[in-house]
Amino acid sequence: MSNVIKTAAFLAFAYIAVPLAVGSNTYVIGLIVAALTIGGIAVAWALLGNLGGMVSFGHAAFFGVGAYVSALLTLRGGWPVFPAMLVAGLGAAVASVATMPALRLRGPYFALAILAYAEIFRILATELKPVTGGAAGLLSIPRLPNVLGLDFGSKLGGYFVILTIVVAAMAAYHLIRRSAYGLALKAMHDSEDATRVVGVNSTVLKAWMLVVSAFITGMVGAFNAHYINFLEPDYAFAGQWTTLAIVSAIFGGYRTVTGPLVGAVVVYLVDQLAFKPILPQGHQIVLGVLLGAMILFSPGGLMPMLMAKLSRKEGPAHAA
Amino acid sequence: MLLELDGITVAFGGLIAVGDVTFSMAEGDVLGLVGPNGAGKTTLFNAVSGLVRPTRGKARFLGRDLVAMPIHARARAGIGRAFQVPQPMHELTVRENLMVASRFATGRIDKQRIEEILDLLKLGHKADADAATSLALTEQKALEVGKALATNPKLLMLDEVLAGLETAGKRAFMHTLSEVRQRYGLALMIIEHDIETITRLCPRVVVLNFGRLIAEGSPDHVFNDPEVIRSYTGGEAA
Repeated sequence: MSNVIKTAAFLAFAYIAVPLAVGSNTYVIGLIVAALTIGGIAVAWALLGNLGGMVSFGHAAFFGVGAYVSALLTLRGGWPVFPAMLVAGLGAAVASVATMPALRLRGPYFALAILAYAEIFRILATELKPVTGGAAGLLSIPRLPNVLGLDFGSKLGGYFVILTIVVAAMAAYHLIRRSAYGLALKAMHDSEDATRVVGVNSTVLKAWMLVVSAFITGMVGAFNAHYINFLEPDYAFAGQWTTLAIVSAIFGGYRTVTGPLVGAVVVYLVDQLAFKPILPQGHQIVLGVLLGAMILFSPGGLMPMLMAKLSRKEGPAHAA
Repeated sequence: MLLELDGITVAFGGLIAVGDVTFSMAEGDVLGLVGPNGAGKTTLFNAVSGLVRPTRGKARFLGRDLVAMPIHARARAGIGRAFQVPQPMHELTVRENLMVASRFATGRIDKQRIEEILDLLKLGHKADADAATSLALTEQKALEVGKALATNPKLLMLDEVLAGLETAGKRAFMHTLSEVRQRYGLALMIIEHDIETITRLCPRVVVLNFGRLIAEGSPDHVFNDPEVIRSYTGGEAA
């Protein structure tokens, strides 16, 4: 199946089949929106992790900054929601510039440094009471608007908005990956000196990946703020936004474009629909076991494993 | 002048790897850089290509200060470098390796030049193969040269690219290098242990020993220099 057909099938499934199948079930569509929210961060995280070669434990910082920027612009500045969400992405991108000194670090040192930045942003949001409302947070954040008769403030409307953000993020990931920049970024992981001596400015490329990743995460954070209409620092900058995204991306296969999204949907929905009813307390333990098993038996993640199985299945058919 | 090195010194703590080395190259020059193991040849290459920063001294390339220039900018200025141990860019095909080099060093992907390089280095049949896992040693060495050529260099620095090749492979590769030089008219700086190779390829040779330049001149001249002979034999000159 060609990539165009696969993409068209995916879009038709996501934009038509899913709403037709479960659009009227607000509980299920709410769960899918939550899964897509994590999926959006996971795609952004994978873009930095796979192409930039940097493992970030601090994406909650960009999620939180995006959420607060959009909430404040709409609440205090009277901005329309969608332009505010775009500016929120830019705000998160600008916030990522503050984390750039961490780019000098590698491996776990970078991961820990950026985790510290997330904590700094949380403390700032807590302490800047006149602007952010402090620990009490922001209430009555404007909901997603009604445009041309489409109510994006509804559960189903929210689904279309977050789906579009995630699809756009995946398209950006795909385009960057297949460009010369993507090739250079991939090459940098195991042969940084070899890429630098042919003219690649590795620091600038990594910085760009951080900015793009932060922008996407900020947009997702902004969406979430308008979807739930409430914000507080401990929620907006919670570590779960990072950890769930990392688990999803690794489980799904962060070196593929679709892996992080598939990982998020599988991890979150299976957890909520299957494990939580059986184990109301500590159901995440099962996820931990599943992730461990995935790393042991298919380190590339779910999507590469499925693709390998499919190609093995198709092999004899082609031969025949 | 293409390259001017003036008193280049590279020290790692108390160890002087390269000490007060001065020489220059004009455009189109071919220079052999020889010396026993540990003489400082690769460190000098690293200093010119930017992988280490000289402790002292001046380096200029086409009149521009090299010492303050970042590594990627040196490639863009026209310095191409092939490593002794091939360093293919992982996860990329042979052609993609050349595309990255072309794009980032020159600002555009010069497809015609890439195909020309693939043809010249006899890598056409492996153009779409994985560069890190699918190439024989000779092909890896060829790709190393190819990446440097794709940057459109004015100076090509080759660090023992013939090492590990058997005699026939070495001769074929030397022939290819001569073709490369003729085709692109670039200057070559070559590190090589094999005296025959150096004598054939390089009209001028610089000899290093313990980081110091001990002789410079034609191959005949330097390989008969008593100090050079001593440096290789560790004893008295014949």
